[in-house]
Amino acid sequence: MIVFASALTFFFVNLAPGGPASVMRFDVTAEQREALIKRMGLDRPVEQRYAEWLAGAVRGDLGTSLLTDETVVQRIGERLPNTLTLAGTALLLSVVLGIPIGLIQALRRGTPVDHLLSLFSAIGLSVPVFWLGIVLILLFAVSLHVLPSAGVTSVASDTLVDRLTHLVLPATVLATTVLPTIVRFMRSATIEVLHEDYIRTAASKGLAPRAVVSGHALRNALIPVVSAVGALVPRLLGGTVVTEAVFSWPGMGRLALEAAQGRDYPLITGLTVVVAAIAVLASLIVDLAYTRIDPRIRLA
Amino acid sequence: MHASPLRLAALGLAAALAMSACAGTTAPGTSTAPSATPAATAANAPVTGGTVTIPIGADPTLNMWSPNAFVESLFINRVLFDGLTRPGKDLAPAPDLAESWTTAADGLSWTFKLRSGVKWSDGKAFSADDVAFTFNDVVLKPDLGAQNRASYAAVKSVTVVDPATVRFDLTRKFAALPSFLAYNAGILPKHILSADPLKTVSFNKGTPVSTGPFKVEKYASGQSVALVRNESYFGPKPYLDRVVFTVVADPNTQIAQALSGDITIMILDNKAAVDRVKSASGLVVASRPLVQYYWLALNQTDARFTDVRVRQAFVHAIDRQAIIKSVELGYGSIANSPITPALAAYYDPSLASKYPYDPAKAKELLTQAGWTPGPDGVLQKNGQPFKFTMDVGQRGVLEPVNALIQQDLKKVGVVVDLNTMEWNSYIQKDVVRREYTATVNWWTYPSDPDVFPYYHSSAAGKGFNIPGYQDPKLDDLLVQGQSASDLESRKAVYKQLQAYTSETLPYLFLWYPQEIDVLSSSLKGVPELGLRDAMHYIGEWWLSKK
Amino acid sequence: MTRLGLASGAVLVLAALLALGGPLVWSISPEATNPAQSLLGSSAPHPLGTDELGRDVLSRLLHGSRVTLLVGVAAMLAAIGIGVVVGGIAGFNGGLVDALLMRFTDAMLAIPAFFFILVVITVLGPGLATLILVIGALSWMPVARVVYGETLRWKAAEFVVAAESLGVPAPRLLARHILPQAIPALVVSATLGVAFAILTESALSYLGLGVQAPLPSWGNMLQRAQQYVFTAPALALYPGLAITVVVLAFNFLGDGLRDALDPRRRR
Repeated sequence: MIVFASALTFFFVNLAPGGPASVMRFDVTAEQREALIKRMGLDRPVEQRYAEWLAGAVRGDLGTSLLTDETVVQRIGERLPNTLTLAGTALLLSVVLGIPIGLIQALRRGTPVDHLLSLFSAIGLSVPVFWLGIVLILLFAVSLHVLPSAGVTSVASDTLVDRLTHLVLPATVLATTVLPTIVRFMRSATIEVLHEDYIRTAASKGLAPRAVVSGHALRNALIPVVSAVGALVPRLLGGTVVTEAVFSWPGMGRLALEAAQGRDYPLITGLTVVVAAIAVLASLIVDLAYTRIDPRIRLA
Repeated sequence: MHASPLRLAALGLAAALAMSACAGTTAPGTSTAPSATPAATAANAPVTGGTVTIPIGADPTLNMWSPNAFVESLFINRVLFDGLTRPGKDLAPAPDLAESWTTAADGLSWTFKLRSGVKWSDGKAFSADDVAFTFNDVVLKPDLGAQNRASYAAVKSVTVVDPATVRFDLTRKFAALPSFLAYNAGILPKHILSADPLKTVSFNKGTPVSTGPFKVEKYASGQSVALVRNESYFGPKPYLDRVVFTVVADPNTQIAQALSGDITIMILDNKAAVDRVKSASGLVVASRPLVQYYWLALNQTDARFTDVRVRQAFVHAIDRQAIIKSVELGYGSIANSPITPALAAYYDPSLASKYPYDPAKAKELLTQAGWTPGPDGVLQKNGQPFKFTMDVGQRGVLEPVNALIQQDLKKVGVVVDLNTMEWNSYIQKDVVRREYTATVNWWTYPSDPDVFPYYHSSAAGKGFNIPGYQDPKLDDLLVQGQSASDLESRKAVYKQLQAYTSETLPYLFLWYPQEIDVLSSSLKGVPELGLRDAMHYIGEWWLSKK
Repeated sequence: MTRLGLASGAVLVLAALLALGGPLVWSISPEATNPAQSLLGSSAPHPLGTDELGRDVLSRLLHGSRVTLLVGVAAMLAAIGIGVVVGGIAGFNGGLVDALLMRFTDAMLAIPAFFFILVVITVLGPGLATLILVIGALSWMPVARVVYGETLRWKAAEFVVAAESLGVPAPRLLARHILPQAIPALVVSATLGVAFAILTESALSYLGLGVQAPLPSWGNMLQRAQQYVFTAPALALYPGLAITVVVLAFNFLGDGLRDALDPRRRR
């Protein structure tokens, strides 16, 4: 599947009009352009280039970035941890907040609390991410001066606390892309479970409602939520593109944007491969977790 | 603020006069003392210490000759690498690594006497070999694809006369060479880069070896590049301890950072925010001259545009003052020639009020050229309506400018469709393949009036003569300007050139933008130049304690 | 159907009316620039003020609603089209076809949509048709899943088996008998699909890859307004609010429909 994605990207991208940004400059002469294209090997046919790339990729060499002459692996490697930190924190935030909120909504179903939380959820899902980002920056960084406005860390003081404060706003903004969905899943899953016969049986047997909820219901409600989380990872990764742009977060999303605009073919292909791989890995992890939680499913 | 064209012209004139009064007209070949010591009074004596933070849009490439060095690399490369000359505070070329220079009697070579005692940041001595290496082995090698190569088309080779003297041998007269050498033309270290001049990653994206007042301490990809004072710098010891370039991609975030004090100095690209920034305490807003002008190119291969009356009509039809007010927030002046007011020694202010906004005059000229209004108000000739498409590159102010021009032309009966394109594709279509009818863009060029590459008929088609305008009289003037050997004769030639181009309009000149710089009020010593040029003086910047 | 769902439906009907009829009633051109009158606040001739080039904001909002809603609905239709075909065929045929198609669907689901959209639009160049196709091409997967599930569910229903035994050919069986059962679920997907498409369009416009100027869309109005967030924040308010309200409404409508149409949830 990853190979498929890489092939798709490679051919597609090479079809793009324009060329590497170093070639597509206003102040470059025609002969300079030809010299550059030759140096980058772009005058050879696409199939040949893809074959070479694939051969290298299998060995772990994803090629050399056209725009900086570093290897693609190097460039992605520099940015990968940052994106993982951001996406991971956002996911953590969403799960840690989403599950309790969903639970509360399910337990208080139909009450004003439920409606209010639903409203917030829906708003979170509907607000354009970049708008939210700018508004938060204006509020917390410019007006109130409590949080930094951009970047991973302050140049002057690179401490853990400093890094954490830099993480707050971007992670929050990114979390709004998946938190509402997790809440919604948790809510409906819990409601389903609460109405299951066996729960009613347990209640009728005299088990306190609290115990019923925490013990059986929670466990069973988590099942679809876990699989939902797995499905949300791609969306989360996609959301990093805009979030990283707004907060100048040096991650893969921004790299992808620069690579696409600069027609850095090897880098784009490499990025797609890596991102797809992460998503696949995430869904594998989720599948594994799924089997642990659901007592009814066991790997054969 | 409602400035009429006349008022602005008067302002422009006053500014030009003021600047020319300060201009030290350095005739080619005179030697001037190395960088002047900054003015210091008892009340505000420069203080050593402190860090200045400057935002850039992306990871820089620390090698100005690399084809991958884009605008984000400009600032930092000007700090790290010295060229033979640098822009003087009057924009005329001032000494940097070269102390003086002379041209031969036949004008076919320039000899530069190099400063002695200059060391690279790794301790090795700088010499003429580095200069020869930079040009002979890097810039002039076609297959390396070095950036800015086109500016040195007239250079045949660089010869080492002795360890402290180099000679540039030319194929034709090139009076502007010292000016060009001040413009993104730093010298590279031969002992480090002779193996791979343009692709050594540890250099370009790591810690390069340089001669400038600051050297790279740490390069954190996607985040920042930190520079520290170069203790073996040949000039006076820089006041600042460190200079940090932070990577901030989003322009609004840059502004937010300036407002919250995280950035010391920056160019305000988004001029609309100027009022907000002005009202912030602790920040100073300054407007600076630029060697830049915006133009509308009408492809001369299209028969409709070869009639000069049509071109003149268009200029009358476009309300350029309104564009300046709306898009540049008033920070600019109307342009009627390729020489900008920043080039005070050459700029001819008498042309500033040419082509006032006059749709009626535009219609009249178009009628003279054979265009008459059809039943729907659209002009037509021989049954063909005056309709065409303008390609719009997505960058800077081009989108709103094109929208305004479209509406202006509509009022005189010319229908324009806008085709907005992503920048990279736009370059490929309009510049590389030259497949366009009309397009708006700009030129920035070194602080010298030599605009040969953009106007000469030899540059049509594949060169920088975008409209493809070919005129022997103009060619003649351009060559004269290159060959003229002293300031007075150059001035005369370029005065003629300005008058001629404003009449014939190879490009439709739109406006000269100014730059808005935002700086912390504690930052002193920054010369009143565009920030890119001011970077050459970063050794003189200092931070006051308050 | 919840009251919220009904209310959302009403909001959307209103939005549709405004989009279709608004520009006919409010006749100022969205492209008429007037730099002397830029960045004005509300006034009689310009109830929502003017933008940076003096264009009327209300007019641009109304014309923009047409574009945004068009992109949203069309992309959703494209997604549904693809999703119905893939999911229906997979569910109906079973076996190898099923496995292949659903594996493919899963694979596509795993690829972060935005990355792909980014690359594709950079390749094909921005444009309305490209935008619609691309957004549609990357959001059909949930639809396919839903249709797949519904097809499986109804494949064994009595009336279907009966029709089959009467000799109704397979495609007709699928199209006429099975798929219509999936319509309720599809409607829910559709409403959520429009919401997704609108948000994606605005994000793409932020990056400069969405609807191109001078055609107004809420997304690109937001992008231009971003430059003025320090001087005229209201410019960003209107399109942002419009997007949020419409997307919200679609979401609530979808939820409401889901609650109403799902027999198991009738409490």
